[in-house]
Amino acid sequence: MTTTLPGSAARPRPRRVSLVTVRSQIFLLLLTLAFLAPVAWALLSAFKPANRIISDPLSFDPTSATLDNFTRMFADVPIGQGFLNTAVVLVFKGAITLFFAPLAAYGFAKYTFPLKNMLFGTVLITLMLPTIVLIIPLLLQMKELGWVNTYQALILPGAVDAFAVFWMRQVIAAVPDELLDAARVDGCREFALFRRVVLPVIKPALAGLAVLTVMNIYNDFVWPVVVASSERMATLQVVLSTLAQNITGNRIGADYATITGELLAAASVALVPLLVIFVALQRHFINGILAGSVKG
Amino acid sequence: MRIGRATAYRTHEGVLMDQLHPRRRTARPVGACHPRPVAAALALVAATALAACGPEITPGDGGDATAPADDPDVLQAPTGDSPSGEITIWSRSGDLYKVFDAAIDDFNQKYPDIEVDHRAVDIDAKLQNTLITGTDVPDGVFLDDAKVAGFAEHLWDLSDVLQPYVDDIAPQKVDVNSLDGGIYGVPFDLNPGLLYYNKTALEKVGIDATRIETYDDLLAAAREYKSARPDSGPIHLERSAFLAQLQLEMYASQLGTSIADENGELRLDSPEYERILGWLDTVRTEGLGTRAEYLTPSDIETLESGRQVFYPWAIWFSFAPQQLLPETAGDWRAMPLPAWEEGGARGGAMGGSSFVLPKGGESSELAWLFYEFLMFDEAGYTAVWGPNDIYPGGLNTSIPSYRPAADATEPLFDPVDALGGQDLWSVAVEAGRQIPGGAPIPAWWAGAVDHLGTNMQRMFDGELTPRDVIERSSADIQKNLVERQ
Amino acid sequence: MTLAVDTQASPSASPSPKRRANRSRWRRQLAPYVFVLPFIAIFAAFGVYPMLFTLRLSFTDWRGSGAAEWVGWDNYTYLLGNEGFWSSVSNSAVLWLLIIPVQLLLALVIAVLLDNAKLRLRSFYRVAFLVPFVTPLVAVAQIWVVVFDQDYGAVNAILNTFGLPDVGWLTTSLWAKPTLALLFLWKTTGFIVIILLSGLQSIDANVYEAADIDGASRLRQLVNITIPLVRRTLMFSLVLQTLAVFQMFAEPFVVTDGGPYGSTTTAGLHLYEHINRGDLGTGAANSFLLVIIVMALSLLFVRLLRAEDR
Repeated sequence: MTTTLPGSAARPRPRRVSLVTVRSQIFLLLLTLAFLAPVAWALLSAFKPANRIISDPLSFDPTSATLDNFTRMFADVPIGQGFLNTAVVLVFKGAITLFFAPLAAYGFAKYTFPLKNMLFGTVLITLMLPTIVLIIPLLLQMKELGWVNTYQALILPGAVDAFAVFWMRQVIAAVPDELLDAARVDGCREFALFRRVVLPVIKPALAGLAVLTVMNIYNDFVWPVVVASSERMATLQVVLSTLAQNITGNRIGADYATITGELLAAASVALVPLLVIFVALQRHFINGILAGSVKG
Repeated sequence: MRIGRATAYRTHEGVLMDQLHPRRRTARPVGACHPRPVAAALALVAATALAACGPEITPGDGGDATAPADDPDVLQAPTGDSPSGEITIWSRSGDLYKVFDAAIDDFNQKYPDIEVDHRAVDIDAKLQNTLITGTDVPDGVFLDDAKVAGFAEHLWDLSDVLQPYVDDIAPQKVDVNSLDGGIYGVPFDLNPGLLYYNKTALEKVGIDATRIETYDDLLAAAREYKSARPDSGPIHLERSAFLAQLQLEMYASQLGTSIADENGELRLDSPEYERILGWLDTVRTEGLGTRAEYLTPSDIETLESGRQVFYPWAIWFSFAPQQLLPETAGDWRAMPLPAWEEGGARGGAMGGSSFVLPKGGESSELAWLFYEFLMFDEAGYTAVWGPNDIYPGGLNTSIPSYRPAADATEPLFDPVDALGGQDLWSVAVEAGRQIPGGAPIPAWWAGAVDHLGTNMQRMFDGELTPRDVIERSSADIQKNLVERQ
Repeated sequence: MTLAVDTQASPSASPSPKRRANRSRWRRQLAPYVFVLPFIAIFAAFGVYPMLFTLRLSFTDWRGSGAAEWVGWDNYTYLLGNEGFWSSVSNSAVLWLLIIPVQLLLALVIAVLLDNAKLRLRSFYRVAFLVPFVTPLVAVAQIWVVVFDQDYGAVNAILNTFGLPDVGWLTTSLWAKPTLALLFLWKTTGFIVIILLSGLQSIDANVYEAADIDGASRLRQLVNITIPLVRRTLMFSLVLQTLAVFQMFAEPFVVTDGGPYGSTTTAGLHLYEHINRGDLGTGAANSFLLVIIVMALSLLFVRLLRAEDR
């Protein structure tokens, strides 16, 4: 134990298996119940007759369960196309962000170069600017580039967002310089430092960034709604928002109930792949860290 | 040892924006920073911004050059025998989309060479951005009446093409689409307010609602019902600020007025508004109202239990008994709104939509043909309101605004079972005929909800008098909306 | 330990030490440009450019068509003298007070519990707390409206069974903010847990071991050891959530539409209303005023952190 390296902490920690654990279990179970109950309500409601969702929202009668909302939703909106487009955007935008954000953050955190501070200051300002005001300028830009209704318009703006760089910079700044210097002495080149030293150390934060990035891309709708006007380019959230518009307004419209049913069905279908991704991420990143450090 | 560890870890545990603090600079040469970068960045940003990016700017008061004699903003109908091309039409998703979609086949029988690309779109989220940036502009868009004026500068003036029809269109619908002498939307539906009432519940206590002719009669009937059922609040009082304001405009429309005149000048401070608000305040103070947000669980429960029996609302309330009120379906009926004065108008408009044609569209004149067909051609309006696959009994949540289509003796939709088989068509058409004109909607209507709609809620809380509502709302709307135009 | 293995595995075949050093220095100088460049390219094009556009817009009166009219500081002075702007800022400030302390504490407790490798169902909890974070907001809005309905909602039904009166969760200005705060807490706490976990995982278990030997209670360990060690991650979360609360827009937009009585018109929603009304210049100016407020708050937090450090 000469140096204390983050991520290499020896685990598992010795802890008393005692009343404390039992109490934490009860606390956590109750809390997850509160966290999951509303989502469970939404999932269950998707199987209720549409008008019952509105007129009797809290009950659930298994005998009247129905797939009507799902069949109607699949018939009405191109949710399959939505999945496909979201998948394409997710793969490319996610990969760009998860690779280039830590890389740029590493550059900012561990090197000096002219204008660095000014650049980073600009990053901070854009971070604090509400995205909603940027929509029109960005859209004008897309028009100039001829990118409206293209994948690049869905992928590039917002890829490597300022927040990702900000966060990763603060995480990488915490990696001790001695560690990097030691690796340099061992003949590590600069990029190898990043790949072999920095990335393993920041893995927990990287996992967090992956969660955030996936979720942001998956659930983003303001930008896709305005930039993807053709059905061919509609992402999953664009599909959801065309359903939701009739409800978020003021319940005007004869099909308020049926649309609510379709919306809940679509939201349920949309949620499943995301949960699968998270369970996979969880295994890959978080458990991976644990396993590795136990061995180490 | 322990303490040493803790401090050792502090340095690499995570650094929050330490680059923003000067003291850190010497201590941590790598990755250190200080407040100046932000300031410097701001300065750079400012300099570049003012020089380069942004819309074209004119000094002093801008404004377009005077329009040439042949007004380029007025749409001309296409000439030639068989117009051809492709049009992009945006509609709201949902059943109405399906109804219009089904009508495209009928349209193509008349115009076989026009291909309609019909899309269900989140219009509220998209239209403004699309119009401002001019990207992928559709040829025709379904739009709330209250939003037409706000987009007028991006839309075709349709006064020329509408000219053959305009005299046969409900005046209220022409007014809401008019601005500075132009007409910016093809009027779609007319949404007469009706008095929905629970006939069964009222009869149980011996009240014959059909005898209600004025709002004073309605008050009297409500008092009677209340004395028979003390737990009731017979008349609906709307809790959503937006819908309360929309309903207020329905009452005002009966009196031929609205929140602003055709020049956009505020006219809330009038005897008409004072009267309406005073009436609503009476409903509240006498405990004759049920305060609930339109068709939320609270609202539905009081409707189902017979505690709320009068619902003065737009015709589109009709879907509630059809879908959401299983217990009392069949008990409900509709009648024209009571009049403010004996013999006064018993119709007022609440909500409604129109079709607009953006100037940036590529085939606007073909889109006009589409809407002309839907609204003014018998095959078109029959396809929209008549029985179809989506609505087997027809679309009974509105009526056509085109008078020849709205003929009391030739119903387009069927009697409604949930209203005890009542012929809603003739009731609505009759009420629709009585809606006075002279009630335009200003571009800032929705923005007024934060003031007028909200102050109405405060009145329902007992915090403001009708006079307060008028004075406060007028001052705030004048300052924040009218003067910021 | 893993790190040591990694570094050893890297190739270290080079001719002469001196040339190696030279080349290495040159590489080291060039490297940051290569690393930062892809980000800078995307950021300049799609981050800086629209920001500059917006900044310029904030000094004009532009309704989206024709030429914009230069109005100088008019938009800013209008907003600074406007009741609506200030009430939106104060609404956000109240929401901040309602959300942030609870959220940071709750997330910290959850994170500390989940950091225990021996905890059963650990993987389940980690995913479970994230579920609200990823559920589409439009579905969430439906849930909130029915669960918090004044007369027939689930929450009031529960209160009634304990003999408590109905509460106007979404209909009174007193309760609408806490209800909205609850929604935000419910939706975003899972993510803060993840951030804090990433901070906690760099704490050496030996620290706790030593504390255990000393017989320090769990609470004491939390206050004396854990919090000081993750304070920077906590501070980071604080700034992050301060940004999120002041920019909060979608939640009130879909659940309350800013009401009742404008009590949930957040700073983010208020600026959207300008844009939605077509008043793009005022919307832009409103955004930059928010940037200033949030920046001032962040600097204040950082300063407080420093003061404590000393």
